[in-house]
Amino acid sequence: MEETRKNLLEVRDLKVSFFTPAGEVKAVDGVSYTLGYNEVMGIVGESGSGKSVEAYAVIGLLQNPGKVIGGSITFEGEDLLSYDEEQMRNMRGKNISMIFQNPMTCLNPVYTIGNQLMEALTCHDDKISKEAAKERAIRMLELVGINNAEKRVEQYPHELSGGMRQRAMIAMALIGEPKLLIADEPTTALDVTIQAQILDLMKDLQRKENTSIIFITHNLGVVAEICDKVSVMYAGKIVEQGDVGDIFYDPQHPYTKALLASMPRLDEEEHERLIPIEGTPIDLLDPPQGCNFGPRCKDCRKICLTKKPPYADLGNGHISACWLHFMDGAVKKEEA
Amino acid sequence: MADFSKVSPFQVDPSAIEEAMLLTPEDFAPASEGEKESMVEKRKSVSYWRDAARRFKANTVSMVALFIFLACLFFAFIGPKLIPYSYGDQYRSSQKLGPGEYSEGETLVKNASANFDVFYATALQPGSLTALSKGDHYFTYKGRTYAFTCEKNYEDVIVAIPKGESEPVLIRQADIDPATGAVAKSEPIAVTDTPAEGATELKMVSRVFPHVFGTDSVGRDLMARTMYGARVSILIGIMAALIVLIIGSIYGAISGLAGGAVDFVMMRIVELIYSIPEVLIVLLLQVVLREPLQLWIDHSDSALAHAAGALGSGIICIFITFALLYWVTMARIVRGQVLQLRKQEYVTAAIALGAGNKRIIKRHLLPNCVGALVITTCLQIPSAIFLESFLSFLGLGVSAPMASLGSLCSDALPTITLYPYRLICPAIILTVIVLTLNLVGDGLRDALDPRLKK
Amino acid sequence: MVTYTLKRLGAALLTLLIIMTITFFLMNAIPGSPFLTEKSTPQQIALANAKYGLDKPLIVQLKNYVVNYLKGDLGTSLKMQEGTPVRDIIFHQDKFIISIKLGLLSLAVAVILGIPLGCIAAYNRGSWLDGFLRVMTTVGVAIPGFVLATMLLWIFAVKLGWLPTISGQLPDFKSYIMPVISMSFYYVCYVAKLTRTSMLDAINQDYIRTARAKGVKTKMIILKHALRNSLIPVITYLGPVTAGIITGSFVVESTFSIPGLGKYYVQCVMSRDYPVIMATTVVLSALVIFMNLVVDIAYKIVDPRITLTNKED
Repeated sequence: MEETRKNLLEVRDLKVSFFTPAGEVKAVDGVSYTLGYNEVMGIVGESGSGKSVEAYAVIGLLQNPGKVIGGSITFEGEDLLSYDEEQMRNMRGKNISMIFQNPMTCLNPVYTIGNQLMEALTCHDDKISKEAAKERAIRMLELVGINNAEKRVEQYPHELSGGMRQRAMIAMALIGEPKLLIADEPTTALDVTIQAQILDLMKDLQRKENTSIIFITHNLGVVAEICDKVSVMYAGKIVEQGDVGDIFYDPQHPYTKALLASMPRLDEEEHERLIPIEGTPIDLLDPPQGCNFGPRCKDCRKICLTKKPPYADLGNGHISACWLHFMDGAVKKEEA
Repeated sequence: MADFSKVSPFQVDPSAIEEAMLLTPEDFAPASEGEKESMVEKRKSVSYWRDAARRFKANTVSMVALFIFLACLFFAFIGPKLIPYSYGDQYRSSQKLGPGEYSEGETLVKNASANFDVFYATALQPGSLTALSKGDHYFTYKGRTYAFTCEKNYEDVIVAIPKGESEPVLIRQADIDPATGAVAKSEPIAVTDTPAEGATELKMVSRVFPHVFGTDSVGRDLMARTMYGARVSILIGIMAALIVLIIGSIYGAISGLAGGAVDFVMMRIVELIYSIPEVLIVLLLQVVLREPLQLWIDHSDSALAHAAGALGSGIICIFITFALLYWVTMARIVRGQVLQLRKQEYVTAAIALGAGNKRIIKRHLLPNCVGALVITTCLQIPSAIFLESFLSFLGLGVSAPMASLGSLCSDALPTITLYPYRLICPAIILTVIVLTLNLVGDGLRDALDPRLKK
Repeated sequence: MVTYTLKRLGAALLTLLIIMTITFFLMNAIPGSPFLTEKSTPQQIALANAKYGLDKPLIVQLKNYVVNYLKGDLGTSLKMQEGTPVRDIIFHQDKFIISIKLGLLSLAVAVILGIPLGCIAAYNRGSWLDGFLRVMTTVGVAIPGFVLATMLLWIFAVKLGWLPTISGQLPDFKSYIMPVISMSFYYVCYVAKLTRTSMLDAINQDYIRTARAKGVKTKMIILKHALRNSLIPVITYLGPVTAGIITGSFVVESTFSIPGLGKYYVQCVMSRDYPVIMATTVVLSALVIFMNLVVDIAYKIVDPRITLTNKED
């Protein structure tokens, strides 16, 4: 009974458009999900599917020419879209934090790690003393597994390795003890061994700090590792959503299936050939009338050409937007 | 099968599902490949240059600047052909005129031209040498030769053809009513077969044209001089930019490609040149080079010396200065580009295939540097114009009777209190040329290198 | 740091030596003799040459210059102020002080006005203020200094009579206004343009997004995170600005009849006063080289990524 429990974050029918000289780009077109306390949700999709834009809308970091043009974002019962810039600023870093993809460019090169960590505290709390802030910064760096934290706070970003910097980014995001952490491809820019370490760290911290996480990635393997539930996005829409087990072992939407088939899986005995998804994502400036995935779908039907599919309820909170579920006059789940 | 005992997730819209239940099996017939493809229209991919041209055209400011610059080019290169004055000609009766004014003689001719097609007027002739002098004169008009003799007041003579007639007549300025242009008296001119021995031939057909920018103290038309000066300035700018382009890109490419010790030494030389306060050296150079250059121009018969003679030693000095000192920025940019491109796979591949340095420069590096080269060269032109005008202002650039925008400003400085327009006109043209070139350069940069656009 | 400074000083001395050599051969290549006048006989010229050591081989003369300079002896003037030690001409007469005063003032104006104007434009990007500043800076970098100087002279001194036509020895505040504006306007505009561009560049960087995600106030984002990063290219430009302002002083001094070093230098070149030419060139070059050193150190302060010991691009 998801609905009865109070949720940390509810996003309903969120629409974000970029108004470019070439026309309106519907980057996010009617995205809905709920995120409970202490829950980790993955948002998966190819580049340009709107997953980052959706997250920026939640934390209020959309830049011109991007604008929220519809829907609602409710955080602990408060409507975030009605907040002004100053209220949003107070939310950021304190209640909602974000980690970004590239730790190489996301830290300001001209300030020390400590300075940037402390800033996350001091900009929300005028009274905190410098010493206390520094103490917190050091403790936080230790928590994310950085050795020699006393020395590291005095160092500049360029003196740290990529993995270290991402740890520092995580420390910076968590220092304000946020209720929600949005991680936008936090491991993409790192090499595989470091990726695993960072994922372990996040899993660990999530348990310790009771933070909810929205984990944005194009890597389904990462999702399986850390998430409770998954939303699969394609061209600005969520095409399938459900528990991580359902999505992985019982994918229903052709896009999810294609995505899974295109990824190497370690849990399967026989090594199947990887099948790439043919074609390229649609042009969001000029989306098709029918299903967005239609042009690339292996099982495209006539109805897919003209009409967008509604969500089919497949039980256990598992939904999928595909016409195939409505064949033969009944909502049908494909047998695994 | 779906479990309907639970409450559906909120995303699921029951009415949409009810609607979906009404679909027929035909709706679920597989779609053909063609149908799938027709769902999305492919956007045409455009070439780099096409795309750059489109971006440039979309940039209103740069387009306007380009048109104004073209207008300046027209002013500088076509303009002199449209006005009857030349940059070096001195009109004795036209000294110190204000903008748009006529000299007294010109006013008379202008007024008289209501009744006559003016054919020749002393007031419209530059200097004293070509002007009508005492003695015998002849001219040819419609296949016939006319001759007349001036004894006195030869400076007032106007040869003109009355409207509607075919015979030229001789008029004295004194006989023209200054207000109405009515001519009180005119003399016919005799037709002869052979002009007298030693007679001067009159050839000029002159129009009356206002001195739009006024005239200077020796009666030179300032618009003609400004046009000429603009031409000189633009040519110097372009030439200097080309010199910089050639030397800078060769130096930079060699330095970047050679790498190692060669690169190190070459870059130290660049740094050294950067540290020199160039203007001090330029001033010294100008003084040093002037005399030997003049000697060479006067005594050498080579085509190069003749070309240099046409330009004047001042301009040659400016070119030499650019060739010696101003290529360093270009060299740095090219070297940076080369270093960046050298890391690219296709260059590595070319090296692996055994391509020589020359070939790599020609086939791979230069074509890829072209954007940066075009932008830097375009922005080099205004800075060369700046330097030239600066040197001319200090009296070290072009020398009279030649003019450049800088020397015109410099000439006007002593009399600024009396004749401010003498400074304002060339100064505005100079500013407009530099401004539009800068804007065109900025537009080119935005168009050629979209990454730089912010 | 110490080794770096020593290395840089060594390089600076070497650069000065090379500049001295270039200047020496250039000024000796000026045709004619400093002592050649209508009345002078060859004997007189030879005598004068011997007196000032100009009869020695060039290489010996150059060596003498270098040795004397190392001793702090800049020689004596041959022509302009015959017999006066060059050191007195440069350091104890008003010329040098006037030029330096004007130059430093203009440099300060360029930085103090240019950087904030650039920030204001970037901060109010797209507003009418930004538009106005963009037009002003774009036009500003297209007006040559001498045009601006003469225009100012004509409007404020001749037409309106508010300011003196001749600034002369710069006796009061009023006499500074026009020379400083003419010398600095171009650089104010250039610095403002540069600051605006690099500020906008910095604002689009990932670390600004990080700062916003932390909840840092917009004002702080601009003043702390964007400004310091955007100063890097501006600082790089300050070296050339110094050289440019020295250049600018030449025309401004001649326009406003200021008896500064620039004008004096031109006269010295014309009259072949070798020791003065050499000393002026060396002193001004040293100034530019010194500014470049200051710039490099300022660089290090602003950008911790730059290590002074191995500065390779």
